[in-house]
Amino acid sequence: MDELDPVIHAAARLRITAALAAIDDGDQIAFPRLQEMLGMTAGNLSTHLRKLEDAEYVAVTKTHQGRSPVTYLELSRRGRRAFEAYTDQLRALLGGTGESS
Amino acid sequence: MQSEPGSSSHPRDDHDDDQPLDAAAMLAIVDDERRSMEKLTTSTVPVYYYVWGVAWLVGYLLLWMSWTESASPVHIPGVIAVPIFAALIVAGAVISAVVGIRSNRGIRGNSQFVGTVYGFSWTILGVAAAALGVAMINAGMPPEVAALYFPSVYAFVLAALYLAGAMLWGSIDQLVIALIVAFTGSVAPFFGAPDNYLAMSLIAGGALLVGGVVATVHNRRA
Repeated sequence: MDELDPVIHAAARLRITAALAAIDDGDQIAFPRLQEMLGMTAGNLSTHLRKLEDAEYVAVTKTHQGRSPVTYLELSRRGRRAFEAYTDQLRALLGGTGESS
Repeated sequence: MQSEPGSSSHPRDDHDDDQPLDAAAMLAIVDDERRSMEKLTTSTVPVYYYVWGVAWLVGYLLLWMSWTESASPVHIPGVIAVPIFAALIVAGAVISAVVGIRSNRGIRGNSQFVGTVYGFSWTILGVAAAALGVAMINAGMPPEVAALYFPSVYAFVLAALYLAGAMLWGSIDQLVIALIVAFTGSVAPFFGAPDNYLAMSLIAGGALLVGGVVATVHNRRA
């Protein structure tokens, strides 16, 4: 079996990816809301998001609400596919008895 | 809903989070995040049930008690019962709107559209049902018939929107409540006024409160 995707195979980035994957397709989440959900520091979240963005797993939309800038995040199609492949691989490693997602 | 970022058992920033854990732990992370994301959307559901359950149970019970023809052991003057009923309904609408907007904060896209349309539907159908009632009163509908019309038409509005909710969010709870409330709205008028108010209070109000308890239990287990 291939090696696990190193972009996702780190606890923090897996948490971010899994959270984004759980948002309905076609929805985006604002950075502060995601940060609040994950309980991560803004700096830590940004660092890991950048790695996910560099791999084109996460799409970032910067916009303005009134005068304050807001960043919205979503999993790209590529990211969603990578996440599914990754969880399939994990389940296979564990004997293929994992629950369906 | 109060956001509680630290409520679930995530591994937080307290380890070297750039490192992978073993496969089972990584899979647990995936399930954890999916569950806490689901909680975001489902944690507010019981609030709607409780708010509307109390409004209907207490509100319609008071209306029933305000009728001299009712078998109520205690009589409450209409000048007290009607304003309290109205206040409960308005409070229900305001609380539902605020909770709905809060739970959607920070999310935009398809589900925001769904949530907004769903939210507006209550107002649109609520006002439409009231307008039809007023038109029928103007056309000569007597008060005892109006007393049959209004509770039932609002039961249908609620049932229709709970059916929509059941479709949108795949919720069996909402489907069951919609069916009970639609049934109550259809059958209650046969009791005549004011006993239809008592039926509304106990059956529809009761079903909503039971729905709240069921939804709370679901959320705890999730």
